[in-house]
Amino acid sequence: MSGIVLTIRDPAGPPIDMSGVLPERLAEGGREALAGLMLVRGRGRHRLDALFTLEDSGPAGTLILHPGGAVLDGVGTGMNTGEIRVEGECGAYAGSAMRGGTLAVAGNCGAFAAAEMSGGRLRVAGDAGDFLGAPLAGGTRGMSGGSVVVMGNAGDRVGERIRRGLIAVHGRVGSLCGARMIAGTIVVGAGCGPDPGQAMRRGSILLAQAPDAVPSGFVDGGMNDWLFLDLMRKELIDGGAWPSGFPTAGTRARRLIGDRSAGGIGEVLVLAEA
Amino acid sequence: MRLNGVHIEDTFAEAFPMLGTRLVITADTPAWVQAAVVSMTGFATSVIACGCEAAMERVLPPDETPDSRPGAAVLLFAMSKAELAKQVARRVGQCVMTCPGTACYAGLRDGPTIPLGNALRYFGDGWQIAKRVGSRRYWRIPVMDGEFLCEAATAAVDGVGGGNVIILAANRRAGLAAAQAAVLAIRDVPGAILPFPGGVVRSGSKIGGKYKGLIASTNTAFCPTLRAAVPASLVPEGVESILELVIDGVSEATVAAAMRAGIGAVADLGAAGGVVSVTAGNYGGKLGRYQFRLHEVMA
Repeated sequence: MSGIVLTIRDPAGPPIDMSGVLPERLAEGGREALAGLMLVRGRGRHRLDALFTLEDSGPAGTLILHPGGAVLDGVGTGMNTGEIRVEGECGAYAGSAMRGGTLAVAGNCGAFAAAEMSGGRLRVAGDAGDFLGAPLAGGTRGMSGGSVVVMGNAGDRVGERIRRGLIAVHGRVGSLCGARMIAGTIVVGAGCGPDPGQAMRRGSILLAQAPDAVPSGFVDGGMNDWLFLDLMRKELIDGGAWPSGFPTAGTRARRLIGDRSAGGIGEVLVLAEA
Repeated sequence: MRLNGVHIEDTFAEAFPMLGTRLVITADTPAWVQAAVVSMTGFATSVIACGCEAAMERVLPPDETPDSRPGAAVLLFAMSKAELAKQVARRVGQCVMTCPGTACYAGLRDGPTIPLGNALRYFGDGWQIAKRVGSRRYWRIPVMDGEFLCEAATAAVDGVGGGNVIILAANRRAGLAAAQAAVLAIRDVPGAILPFPGGVVRSGSKIGGKYKGLIASTNTAFCPTLRAAVPASLVPEGVESILELVIDGVSEATVAAAMRAGIGAVADLGAAGGVVSVTAGNYGGKLGRYQFRLHEVMA
């Protein structure tokens, strides 16, 4: 059994909720089950094959989406296994609540990508919106596992309340990166907006350069050698998650400890000062 | 069997199941690696009184260590998982964590879990940091020279302890030369260690003794100075010195390979080198699960 290529029939129109379109559906029920899935677009419910053309192609168990200019929300939501490739842009909630498998987006993706993700891999070749790896609206838990790599920039509140896992943004992130972070690792390859790690308890935020502003609850721990950076660099380079702006050797970094105002002992490590 | 004029006795070494683990220790320089390893494997010759048996398995070049620094692989063996866990925590905590610039990693992945950083993290007094890198979890413990990086846990393997080779020589100099040659050969066998000083034992023991409560006492049957006095003496005429090599390994095959390497090195010196014969220690086959017959090992 090959994979399936889904190509949008009419790119114009309201967003499509793709949250049920998963590789496991294809594995369980085959092409027919996938074609019969009911999707919400705007106020209407439509069969998947009414919105997309289906073509057998690609590796087994893989869904390849050609969104054209359409807005596809919830791509890979709740995904457990297999692979989804998006040959274009994603709307909001890409990979949210994802538990396994791989979601690769060739373009940008909207807000809440990888929100409440607990496993698997999300790769975004373009930019990501706000709340990357954060809790869903009203939720209290951010990402709790898996890895996210964004080759471009990301918005505000990247990794808010993250508990486990890795978020690597090669470009710049907005404000409040890692706010209320509990543990895990966030890597930012370019500039970082104000107040990273506000109210964080534990975890690491690795920055290529000093942030625009640091929360008042952080203290400067000074320069030192951090051996774990060497292990992390090897691991992330292999996964394409070590930003090009980061040093390729050495373990020195400036460490900011906080957020002490929340009793936290997390860290913001600024590597480029080494 | 006779190899190069050396008589290989038709007997067997009796060995026991032990639980072992491998640790990888790194530091800024080879000298500091050695300092940590020597300290950590000190007083770890015999489970009879040391709690575990441990020694360096081999030196690791930077390209074989997790953090690309000089390192060494160390093997520890104990009689139970609980004792192994206790010895690992104590020895890493007191001898590796205390040594400047060191880090400690698991050298085994599969098997029952032995706490490593998980047991030592409390030293951080609340400032310790867990960090997952890939599939591995580490503890970063703040110390006075920076940070002690220690993998959270290592794994245990069903090993074999007490493999042995006994060298009977014409004199002490010849016996020592033969033993040292065997040690060098055995140290090239991956997964095997020689826990005694320099890899050699001169005070081999038997079970019990004439004094109440004694676990072990001198192996009178192999004491050349008692040959005339002990009826059950196993010291042939012309033998003045006997040395033993005790081998622990991560598997039965490893111990057999180490014994083969050691006996082969002794035989290479030959009778001309003052070696009279090679034998092995056993308890009649009643105590140990493993029996390494010398003739089969050398076949």
